[in-house]
Amino acid sequence: MAKTKVVLVACGTAIATSTVVAKAIEEACKEAGINVRTRQAKAAEVPTLAKDADLIVTTTPLSKDLGVPVIQGLPFLTGIGRDQVLKEIIEALKD
Amino acid sequence: MAFLEAVQGFFNTLGSFVLLPVFIFIFAIVLGAKVGRAFRSAVIIGVAFVGINLVIGLMWGALTDVSQAIVQNTGIQRDIIDVGWPSAAAIAFGSSVGLWVIPVALLVNIIMLVTRLTKTLNVDVWNFWHFAFAGSLVVAATGNLALGIATAAVAAALMLFFADWTAPAVQDFYNLPGISIPHGTSTAYVALAIPVNWLLDRIPGVRDVEADPETIQKTFGPTFGDPMILGLVIGLVLGLIGFIPTIAAEGFQTFLARVLQLGVNLAAVMVLLPRMVQILMEGLIPISEAAREFMQKRAANREVYIGLDSAILIGHPAAISSALLLVPIAILLSVILPGNRVLLFADLAIIPFVVAMFAPITRGNVFRIVIIGTIALIIGFYLANDIAPLMTSAAQAANFEMPEGAALITSIGDGFIWIPWAFTRLGALLSWGGPIIMLVLLAVLIFLYSRNTGAWERAAGGPAEVFEFEEAPGD
Repeated sequence: MAKTKVVLVACGTAIATSTVVAKAIEEACKEAGINVRTRQAKAAEVPTLAKDADLIVTTTPLSKDLGVPVIQGLPFLTGIGRDQVLKEIIEALKD
Repeated sequence: MAFLEAVQGFFNTLGSFVLLPVFIFIFAIVLGAKVGRAFRSAVIIGVAFVGINLVIGLMWGALTDVSQAIVQNTGIQRDIIDVGWPSAAAIAFGSSVGLWVIPVALLVNIIMLVTRLTKTLNVDVWNFWHFAFAGSLVVAATGNLALGIATAAVAAALMLFFADWTAPAVQDFYNLPGISIPHGTSTAYVALAIPVNWLLDRIPGVRDVEADPETIQKTFGPTFGDPMILGLVIGLVLGLIGFIPTIAAEGFQTFLARVLQLGVNLAAVMVLLPRMVQILMEGLIPISEAAREFMQKRAANREVYIGLDSAILIGHPAAISSALLLVPIAILLSVILPGNRVLLFADLAIIPFVVAMFAPITRGNVFRIVIIGTIALIIGFYLANDIAPLMTSAAQAANFEMPEGAALITSIGDGFIWIPWAFTRLGALLSWGGPIIMLVLLAVLIFLYSRNTGAWERAAGGPAEVFEFEEAPGD
């Protein structure tokens, strides 16, 4: 079994918008056959948690140079360009 | 109205843990969600309510005990407990108005889009709780469900106006093209921020003060930025103040145990409450997706702003660092404000929401955001003190369990916010006159704004050159 990838999902509170994004990523990865674990974080916590993540998806501005690829998660909220971002995320998580 | 009252009577016996899931299931199906998914999410919502009830019970009990101890010990009366916006949201959705708020707010949005009274398509179904909150307080004051639903409808319309008005500022400052923020906690005090910022601009010396977000985050972040540690510290401090007299009667060991237990309990609340709301959020996903698709289909070929949660703004350094400074200020205010009975706790974590929309107005100046935020909090304290009895009875009406001799409750979101306060006070005083006055106010605001859109948007922090989102040629 492939290694489980960790996706850090960031928003302002780690409650509301990041839950929407995290669930969408989990569903899409399940379909694509990728083992993934999401972890929700507040923007302020991201620099500390980034080193344990394979990918960061955020709905809020983050400081730069986290050492991990960052993908904008806003399309999950607006519905515009959602499939495109899901593709990007799955590409980024493939070995 | 008799029909509504009869329905409400039956609903009250069922309770929100059963009812909201049933309603959400039905709405999700009507909006086109798949049955299996809708059913599962409906059950999760019931689960989330049970979870939130447990955590509120823990918090309410622990804080009631210590606040009574503090009153006996020091004479300082802080018996209105800040149970946090997650509780307020659960109370609002669990109220009789909360059952109706999703279709009502969607309908208001469609009508206003079709009549071109708004550009915002509010897909942030979760935050419809703000409208239900105003409505549930009106019901708590008047017992009139229809009045509560009308209040929620006008509140939804008002929020669309605020979202339109502040959209260019948000889009420019936060670099979020096509987005607006119809969020009750965040947009309310923009109306305060504009004149205060204008004033600060005219005070020599003060107008040049800046504060560095980086330094603030490094200094205050570890304590005030981590709700769990904040909960622990608040628990320990309150425990020390409240329980010291028990040393004489019960011994030092018991005293120490009580203080430490309170600390750990309150740290637990800070961690668990957001987790419970995540579960609620998860349950709302299918309905909010279905609502979004439903609305977007109907708004096709229109240039619209997509209305989102202000959580997407909170990562900005100006919002984070000014909120960090405002946490100790808020605690200090709760101690020194004359006549205040509010004991701040769970919502110390949401101050960034109150101030995020000040950033475009002040061009991200942390010092100014803190000044405006302080004034907003002072106003908020007095509104919260005034409205707490109604918020407490709204919680009871939504079947949240209160401990024996419980304290009153409030929350910064939206107990400190003038919009639900105004709706509630006007509604209690004038019945139907309340929502009508607010509707007239909204009409006046929309009229003035449409007469002079550019100036209004620049005042809210919009860019000097206004985006031309108006009809493209040939539209």
